Amino acid sequence: MAKKRVMTTKVYSHLEGMLFMVPWLLGFMIFMAFPLIFSLYMSFNNVKVLPTGMKYEFAGVQFYKTILMGSAEFYDQLIPFLQEVVIMVPVIVIFSLLIAIFLNQRLKGRFMFRAIFFLPVIFSTGAVLQQFMDQEEGGLGFMRSEMIGGFMDAYIGGSPWGKPVLAVLEHFVLVLWYSGVQIVVFLAGRQTIPASAYESARIDGASPWEVFWKITLPAMSPFILLNIIYTVVDMFTFPSNPVITMIGTGNYGYSSALAWIYFVIVLVFLASVLLIYGRVNRQQRM
Amino acid sequence: MREINNKMLQRLYWKRKEFMHAVKRFDRTQQFIVLFLTLLSVFMLLPIVYVFNHAFKPLHELFQFPPTFIVRNPTFQNFIELLSLTQSTFVPASRYMLNSIIVTFLATVGMVATGAICAYALSKHRFPGSKLIFGSIIASLLFAPETIAIPRYVVVQSLGIMNSYFGHVLPMIAMPVGVFLIKQFIDQVPNEMIEAAKMDGTTEFGIFMRIVTPMVMPAIATITILAFQNAWGNAETSTLFMQEDAMKTLPFYMSTLTSNLANSVARQGAAAAGALIMFLPSLIIFLLSQRKVISTMAHSGIK
Repeated sequence: MAKKRVMTTKVYSHLEGMLFMVPWLLGFMIFMAFPLIFSLYMSFNNVKVLPTGMKYEFAGVQFYKTILMGSAEFYDQLIPFLQEVVIMVPVIVIFSLLIAIFLNQRLKGRFMFRAIFFLPVIFSTGAVLQQFMDQEEGGLGFMRSEMIGGFMDAYIGGSPWGKPVLAVLEHFVLVLWYSGVQIVVFLAGRQTIPASAYESARIDGASPWEVFWKITLPAMSPFILLNIIYTVVDMFTFPSNPVITMIGTGNYGYSSALAWIYFVIVLVFLASVLLIYGRVNRQQRM
Repeated sequence: MREINNKMLQRLYWKRKEFMHAVKRFDRTQQFIVLFLTLLSVFMLLPIVYVFNHAFKPLHELFQFPPTFIVRNPTFQNFIELLSLTQSTFVPASRYMLNSIIVTFLATVGMVATGAICAYALSKHRFPGSKLIFGSIIASLLFAPETIAIPRYVVVQSLGIMNSYFGHVLPMIAMPVGVFLIKQFIDQVPNEMIEAAKMDGTTEFGIFMRIVTPMVMPAIATITILAFQNAWGNAETSTLFMQEDAMKTLPFYMSTLTSNLANSVARQGAAAAGALIMFLPSLIIFLLSQRKVISTMAHSGIK
């Protein structure tokens, strides 16, 4: 009898939980999940927009073939971009962690600094950054100037990684502007570590360096993971990225196929990043 | 005995010296950090300085190359041009403004409220299938937004919400980033706290409103800023789902200022002024909510 009672409360609580999700989930199903599945369907079809409506002709894997094997354009766009992401993600995450730790210290004008470093949140998604990049202010002007550019060319220009490294340096300002949300997440995460942990570490005579590695970093681990995922997603879906601009063509079947190929690539990328992160994390724990 | 005492005293003395040393070093580190942060702040503030200055530049300065940050001869010419342009439109510009305000308000509230409550359910009610739902939310994050534009059009059309505020707001409500971010924060709220509240007879909704929400305020404030950004700057729903001019929003109007023109010079001034006007509300929302981002977590009892 008692057991049955417990079961029903549990079921009831689950039902209540589901009820909470209904509004969002409905919107998600109708305006996200269904369109995505529909685009998968479109990717196998020749889509024609007629005055009477849409017309679909089955095309099989034709578009996938054209994109993957037809020309090198896709790879020409994708590979430099992937290289850039590989460098940018750790740079952004480490940079924002560093800034978050700085901002957590008792500094003069801490509030002002915090506000300033969250500021990118409002222009990273907005039109401001776009306008800025249209004007080619995105890279650092002085990075392109003769001296540093020549220096870079002489030393790493020859290797296949030379270009992406240079691109990252040029995008240094972009790193700053991409890391708004990440800094917020790290700062908020840092607040969840109890002060008593730091106090006891100090009493035991731990140096700030040890405190960072033994207390701050492990406790921040879930937030680092969160930020890695967020940064990867943010980088891959940023409107100015070269592959996405390729998606916006008139041929819907072709664009859908491209979008799905892109999705698989991002998924594989994210999965491998998470795998590596999991490995590193486990090693550290041992 | 005395020897030991002496030794201890000596050691204490050394400790003290070391401590003073550390304090001094700490001071120097701090100065360094402040300097470093100040330098970076300059870069952070550049876009804002730029937007403000751009709006006040006379035409010849707008096209100067290399582009300048600071305006030399500030003028209100751009705003006057924008004003005269808005008076010549078929639909009064105030109508666009009104539409934008209504849509932004509804969409932001919708995105944050439904997202937060969904995140709570996902995080603290592990019912069968919740993992699958969370997985599909992450998967949907990975798609380029362009992927779903056309199928969405089909959906909106068949729902019959074209040319209505529903057509603006509903497609925006499901914001996967919001649920994802808030859920990760709610995961950090200790279960014992929720259990305790349940013991005290708080309803599920009460737990969400009075315990979980205050604790994850930083995440909610961040998402509010992002949601506002999305909704306020969104021209897509106007372009795709609204055929009637009277239902379109301000970002759409701003984008029409420079497009469909024979040359790329005309109306650039008005566009620059428009960009500033579009940017100001974001800045205000940001300044209002950024304090919430940081100050709440510390006092909310997680510690």
